[in-house]
Amino acid sequence: MENDNKKSLLEKYNIPLHHLDFAYVEKCTNGREMEKIVQILRSGQEGFYPDLLRCSEEKLKELKPDSRLFRYEEQIKHSNVLDKNELKPILDWTEAVKSKDSALNELKKSKQKLDLPSVRKLSKIDLEKQKTETSKPAAKATSPPKAKIKDDRIKSTDYRKWDKYDPDEEILRMDLDEERSKELAEQKVSTHRKLATEDELKNEKASLYERLQTQLKNLSQMEREQLAERHRLKGNECFKAKEYDNAIEEYNCAILYDPENAVHAYNNRAVSHIKLKKYFSAISDCQACLQLDPKNVKAHLRMADALNADGKQLESLSMYKNVLELEPDNVTAKKSVEKLTSLLGEVAPASATRLMIEEIDPPELKTSESKKQLAKTASAPPPKDYDLAELIKPNRMVKSKLVSAAEALGNKFQAPKGGAPQKPPLPPNPQESILRLPQDNINTNNKLLIQEI
Amino acid sequence: MDKPQLIEHLHESVNYTVYDTKWVPLSAKFVVLGSKANGHGIMDIYELNQDKLVKVKSVEKKVAFKCGTFGAASLRNRHMAIGDFEGRLQVLDMEQPDLPVYNVKAHSGIINTIDAIGGTQIDCGAPEIVTGSRDGAVKVWDIRQGQAPVVDMSPPPQMGDGVNQSSARRDCWAVAFGNTYNAEERIVAAGYDNGDLKIFDLRSLSVRWEATMKNGICGLEFDRRDIPMNKLAVTTLEGGLLVYDMRTQHPTKGFSYVEERNAGRSVGTNGVISGPKATVWIVRHLPQNRDIFLTGGGTGSIRLWKYEYPDRRVVDDSDGNKLGVAGALNMVSAATLSSQPVHCFDWHPDKLGLAVCGAFDQSVRVLITTKLNTY
Repeated sequence: MENDNKKSLLEKYNIPLHHLDFAYVEKCTNGREMEKIVQILRSGQEGFYPDLLRCSEEKLKELKPDSRLFRYEEQIKHSNVLDKNELKPILDWTEAVKSKDSALNELKKSKQKLDLPSVRKLSKIDLEKQKTETSKPAAKATSPPKAKIKDDRIKSTDYRKWDKYDPDEEILRMDLDEERSKELAEQKVSTHRKLATEDELKNEKASLYERLQTQLKNLSQMEREQLAERHRLKGNECFKAKEYDNAIEEYNCAILYDPENAVHAYNNRAVSHIKLKKYFSAISDCQACLQLDPKNVKAHLRMADALNADGKQLESLSMYKNVLELEPDNVTAKKSVEKLTSLLGEVAPASATRLMIEEIDPPELKTSESKKQLAKTASAPPPKDYDLAELIKPNRMVKSKLVSAAEALGNKFQAPKGGAPQKPPLPPNPQESILRLPQDNINTNNKLLIQEI
Repeated sequence: MDKPQLIEHLHESVNYTVYDTKWVPLSAKFVVLGSKANGHGIMDIYELNQDKLVKVKSVEKKVAFKCGTFGAASLRNRHMAIGDFEGRLQVLDMEQPDLPVYNVKAHSGIINTIDAIGGTQIDCGAPEIVTGSRDGAVKVWDIRQGQAPVVDMSPPPQMGDGVNQSSARRDCWAVAFGNTYNAEERIVAAGYDNGDLKIFDLRSLSVRWEATMKNGICGLEFDRRDIPMNKLAVTTLEGGLLVYDMRTQHPTKGFSYVEERNAGRSVGTNGVISGPKATVWIVRHLPQNRDIFLTGGGTGSIRLWKYEYPDRRVVDDSDGNKLGVAGALNMVSAATLSSQPVHCFDWHPDKLGLAVCGAFDQSVRVLITTKLNTY
């Protein structure tokens, strides 16, 4: 425009002039084009249209909310723009940290007896040598084959040699070469990685924790608190990045460093365990947390979640109710209670009727019994002799429909867990199993009916 | 506004060039290192007192101070390791700064950069200090060792001694420790003026990886020093910002990265960042959230970035090798602080959002960043 030999943005971006229009901007769906239009309008090369610019910026925000064109930078504001309440925590903190600071200065006088790791052996990393070393293998690898190729090359007229030439063998050789080079490359990377079996890792970890424990005796409570807090924060970071194993490691350290104030660490570790579907560990973490702080709502809630996921609906329900006692407005707890009551309610009548029928007149109602038994132990072989003792047992304990139903469910899910309590198996989706129950019943029912007929 | 906001809390003008600012761990104090007009080094200790800054102590020494760190100091003995303009490395007790705890002539040229580790990590290797200098060498120090470095990463002698024939030697501008998650593993990353990036493995004593940027490397930092290395942020001249995913090393392609070429751009019209490119001097990760970091630029601006992880951090390439996948960078917030470059910055290790920074306009600022906890 102003400069003839300099292209205007309009030409540079190759955008027709009629695109700078409300109607077009309204319809435009291309984020990149919109960006260009905004840039042209902002440059003012085609004139200044504040309304159109605003409109197209809004459109761009819709199409491409993280566009670079929205990266604004302002002059920094002074802290007097902050609310008094926002500044107060910082001022309070400075006071609080001063007492810690002076306490540390006191500690300085008493000698610390940490056994530090030994000094590294004096060594050198030679930059030049490294370079030649890294380039040498490559040179070695490439040069000999080259020479070989020269030697081995068969002249096109040398028919006798061509007769001896075996293409399959050559292909095999090439494949081997390729494999070897791949192996070399892999070796290069793997030398940096330590391969350790799980057992070794476990032993290492145990001894590490032991060593930490002895070292920690030399630290003051305040230092332990600080270090524990840092580990907890690191754990939170890992958790955010979905590295749950690492997060658990960090929380382990946090708990080890400062077991008395480890409420948060226990809580967070419980969630990490839930994420990894290690419900047993999660529940025990919650229990540990509740021992430290019996009224911790989060711990209650997480325990309820873990129990629910582990298939222990009844215990979960009572836990959710505990949460509501502590915090009557807790939304998740309310929802879960509703859900669980409806869930358990559905199952309850069936089990109740079964027990009643059974006790009144067992021989007559074989079908209904067998159906229950099958439902309870799905893997049991088709019953010939009905073992009634098992069925009668729960009957005596039944007080409400709900309880019996939950117990039936709970038992079912607990049963396979006995062997390996550390690793509870993936709990079957409770809803699924409940949905399946009636179906099983119908099937077995039909079969049995047919058999009897 | 639910975005974090960068706010200047306190401002202190000084009569010397500021080179480094560092918080004293677990206190409301920070240290300012600098150089007076007559070339003397100065170390000031300030303390936050309600809404004022109080100078607690001022120490002057013969040689100008360049850089300092508390990384190798335990909570109890908060000693600062300082590098100066003549290549001397000293470890000072803040209470008795006249009598250094450790003092060594580490390099033949100015110590540009320093980093340290092992002070507060228990059973995670020895406390060590790494220095990078104009003489091209990177050296690792253990103050119990005496006068020799425990690991020496010097260029070969035929490349000059850094004073007389310095042309062939590269100037080391940035060093950083990382990967210290157990007693053996430790990595030093070093960035040079020609854009070389070298990753030294201190366990196997080898160069683990090398790369070359388009421009000289001014700033380097691992997102965390004390975890299996996760990310490495690199800043360069001409406004480059690169974040490497350090979890997966491909045998030929190395580490994957995301690059932001306009990280150093200055502010154009209407406050939109579109001006000419300027150096990104420094990168510092938030101690409470490793995926948020701040860069300080040559245009006197500070910018807050967030790294977004990709859905899958590792993929298999056609040869069956593992290849890392880099994430994305989002600029969260930006503010112009000064007309001069902001070249040193330090987040408080114990208080979220509190920071101190120095710029070449001879002033020190205490900053507050709001709403960081929402990320």
